[in-house]
Amino acid sequence: MVKQTYLHDKHIALGAKMVDFAGWHMPVQYTSIIEEHKTVRENAGLFDVSHMGEVFVCGKDATDFLNKLVPQDIAKLDYEKAVYCQLTKENGGIVDDLIIYKLGIERYLIICNASRVDEDINRIANLKNGFDVEIDNQSHNYSLLALQGPKAVDIMKKMGYDIQNQQSFTIKPAKIAGIKLLVSRTGYTGEDGFELLVENEKAQYLWDKILEQGQEFGIKPIGLGARDTLRLEAALHLYGNDLDEDTTPIEAGLSWSVPKDKVADYSGKEVITEQISRGVSKKLIGLEMLNRNIARHGYEVYFNGEKVGYVTSGCVSPSTGKNIALAYVNNNKEICTGSCVQVMIREKLHDALVVKRPFIQKRNRVK
Amino acid sequence: MSFKENILCANSHEYVLKNDEKNCTVGLTDYAIEQLGDIVFLELPEVGDEFAKGDTFANIESVKAASEIYMPVSGKITEVNTDLLSSPEALNEDCYENGWLVKIEHTKDDDEFNDLLSYSDYKEELE
Repeated sequence: MVKQTYLHDKHIALGAKMVDFAGWHMPVQYTSIIEEHKTVRENAGLFDVSHMGEVFVCGKDATDFLNKLVPQDIAKLDYEKAVYCQLTKENGGIVDDLIIYKLGIERYLIICNASRVDEDINRIANLKNGFDVEIDNQSHNYSLLALQGPKAVDIMKKMGYDIQNQQSFTIKPAKIAGIKLLVSRTGYTGEDGFELLVENEKAQYLWDKILEQGQEFGIKPIGLGARDTLRLEAALHLYGNDLDEDTTPIEAGLSWSVPKDKVADYSGKEVITEQISRGVSKKLIGLEMLNRNIARHGYEVYFNGEKVGYVTSGCVSPSTGKNIALAYVNNNKEICTGSCVQVMIREKLHDALVVKRPFIQKRNRVK
Repeated sequence: MSFKENILCANSHEYVLKNDEKNCTVGLTDYAIEQLGDIVFLELPEVGDEFAKGDTFANIESVKAASEIYMPVSGKITEVNTDLLSSPEALNEDCYENGWLVKIEHTKDDDEFNDLLSYSDYKEELE
């Protein structure tokens, strides 16, 4: 059965076009993807991302246990800090990408992809033997709202939230509009913003309150369509498109999230360490099409007449009007920023330029 | 009579408007355009190209996805709406009077129109 978030009625009332996504009936757009996209880049947008998974990991060995699951060094994670990481397999492949939040001593929150919650829980539960740790999947009890965009800060301030002492990638318990919640300064748009974790019963009230208070700042509800174009412009990976169990964090261009000096062992460490020192056979690149054709997921990439890889995500960038894509190609040194490759679109080859990622200037890191 | 009242629609959301015995205008219905969302790319055939009923003759892309457009009846392309190639987003405003895709000369017999629906029947079928 397709699941509904606690905000489902709100989306219907707002006239959203609904789609099935990862087992959930979700709004893909309210008015227009391009319009919603620009609203987030220029003002602020509110997203219902309650389909995402929330898993609490607590217990005496929580830190050591999590450290075994991901390449990031969880032992170095400070209280109220968040870190982006990947749940890796023994072969280094990625089961899911996550944000882990440290809520207290040996108390963590994992936010994971809706499409991967079951896989994640299975994997985590299977590895828990010998660790004094409790895994509590609370996905069904929590709603997650994302407030994103340059005006997000103003809206939070107007709602009485003191953002002064909250940097990017931190989480704090708070009270907004009389509701107890967790406020995290994170997002999936490349903009500054917040993600608000709230009990299901309070979600509708909070949703209405934010839209009401944000009105003077031009806030709009934003669907998953714009969420996808926003994240792609920021070159943030989407699990299932750009990440999968046959791709390691190094191949995915996520080396920055793999500390070289981590002492503790973790699933896939051997393969990943080897790749760091010896290199990888495939790599993720950014593409910009040189004509109006759009490279889509699965399209083949050619270089000097030879097939070298495939596109994993592609769209027209609403911010720049250029057609952008992410692709995996053989790790050939000649395929680098500035080189020209071709994408096979409807049985014809179309030129594309290899460009730096992200495709836009990100503005999400705030001190 | 308005444009819409005279068109015949295929289940795959293309329409055909008979201009005279042989000549027709072909496009996509407003329902199709609304479902696609923001149109960002359009690829149309060349004048003189010939297609059978059901053939893919054009490609359209919205922000989210790429779709093929099929010939509602067999025909030879006599005119292409080239204005749309540089501004496919105009389809979101009007897919009829100014937003037709191609004009064709119908090359088979009129039986080909039998399985097409009037606009009102087509809309009803979508309900």
